[in-house]
Parts: sequence; structure tokens; C-alpha cells
Amino acid sequence: MLNSSEKAYCKALEALERKQFREAMRYLDAAAPFFLTNQEFGLLHQTTRLLCLVKTELAALEVETTRTK
Amino acid sequence: MSRIETLKRLEQTLESFLERAVFVKAERIRVLGGINRLDDIARKAVDGGDPTDSIGQWFAEHNRLRDTGAFTPAEQHRISDLLGEIRRELRVNEQSSPAINKIASEIERWRQTPTSTGVKLVLKRGPEVAEPTGEEPTIAKFHSTLDKISALFADKSATKKHLLSVLDDSLKSATLQKSPDALILSGLLVYYLKLNGYKVDPFVKRLKEAEQIQKQDGVRHAE
Repeated sequence: MLNSSEKAYCKALEALERKQFREAMRYLDAAAPFFLTNQEFGLLHQTTRLLCLVKTELAALEVETTRTK
Repeated sequence: MSRIETLKRLEQTLESFLERAVFVKAERIRVLGGINRLDDIARKAVDGGDPTDSIGQWFAEHNRLRDTGAFTPAEQHRISDLLGEIRRELRVNEQSSPAINKIASEIERWRQTPTSTGVKLVLKRGPEVAEPTGEEPTIAKFHSTLDKISALFADKSATKKHLLSVLDDSLKSATLQKSPDALILSGLLVYYLKLNGYKVDPFVKRLKEAEQIQKQDGVRHAE
């Protein structure tokens, strides 16, 4: 049987394929302890994390811009 | 540039990177997704659920992947283990339904048959004959073509960051400019990427289309 981290990584990749970045982030976080030394996993994980942060920041800035108008 | 614009650019860059990263892993994702689903089916079977329908559907969806050698030996081993778990829960006996018997035999077939090692390439040619005098020998011709496609590759790759972008550009030249050298370069890149585990089906389709366009163009010029 697959362990829960491996299952989470599979689901993260499928979520990335659907461009569901926040869902992918949740699965990548769940899988992370098992893939600590996997560079490819690390790259996907950190890129997705950065993208989610950028999206959050953009959403906040856009709300701020709308308010000041 | 405003902060929003900068962040939007960064967002686009990151999305584009992830899109490409996932694109080159598309076949691996299908394989891993398939193993994950089989694992779900095995868990349900172990918990007392009836796996007959879901395993039947899984076979239908994954036979092609297996036939094309998409599974690595380690993945095939994991699949065999999972199928073994499911097989144990089937409890096949004389009263078993035909569906269960069929699933059990399919599981055995999957577990016993070695996986394909990929598509076999067979090269055929006619008997060797002397070069007709007055014509450029094939070796010299090929050498000259090789020089031209090397130069073409150097041009196209100079501004690209990934071989897939070079292939995309080369296929465009083969289709739009009808360049025979670009067609050969595209074929070479497709084969190289395939050997390195990339999913090349969409490029093979475009390569065939480019070849067809050049053939039709050749026929028009001959007429």
C-alpha cells in the first residue's frame, strides 16, 4: 500500500495539472516530510508556495485599490 | 512598474513554470494517479468492499499504459503487490460469479506477464547497390544535411531555455516555412525527448502534419 505522503504527492500533481494551486499546496505540505531530500519535489513545493503567497498578496492589494477608489 | 503589475508578472512566471513542469510529467502523473487509485481500490477491498466494478474499470483504463511500457519496474512491482492484496480479498471459489473469475484471471495476467519495454523500432532497407555515378553519394548528402540541421539547431536553441521550446519552433518552421531540415530536426528532437521519458504524443502528431504538408507541397511542385 502507498503511504499517506505518497498519496498526497499524487493528488498534488493532479491538482497542479488542474491549476488548483491552493489544493495542490495542501497536498504538497502533507507530503513534504516524506520527500525532504527530493529536489524535484522541493522545487514544485516552493514554487507553489510562492505562487500562493503572490496570489494572496495580489488579492489583498486589489481589495485595497478598490477601497481607495 | 506598480507593485500590482510586478506581482502579476511574477504570478504569470510562476504559473507558466508550474504548467511546463507538469506538462513534462504528464505521463508520470497519469501513472502515479493510476497507482494511487489502485491503492484506494485495494484499501476498500481489504475493508470488505466489492472491488469488482472499480478494478474492472481500472484495468480498462490502464491496459494501454502497461502495453506501452509506461510503468517502471518499481511501479510494476507496486502494482503487482496491490493487485495481490485485491486478489486475496476476492475469495474465488466454484460459486464465484463470472465477473469475479474474470477479474481474478486478469489480475494473474497482470502479475505474471512481463511488461513491455516500449515500442520496438525495426529498421528495414533493400539490398545494397552501388551509387549511380554522377549523383552525390548518400553519405556525403547525409553529412551535408547533418551540418545544416546542426546550424539550424544552434540558431533555434540560442534564445530558448528548454528543448521543448526548440522543438516547438522547429515544428513551426517545418509546417509554415516547409523547411525539410526543420522537419528532420523535429524528428530527431522528438525521438531524443521520447528516449528521455518525455510525453511526445502531441509533437508526433504535429510532426506527421508537417510531413504531410511538405509531401503535398512536393506533389504540387512536381505537377
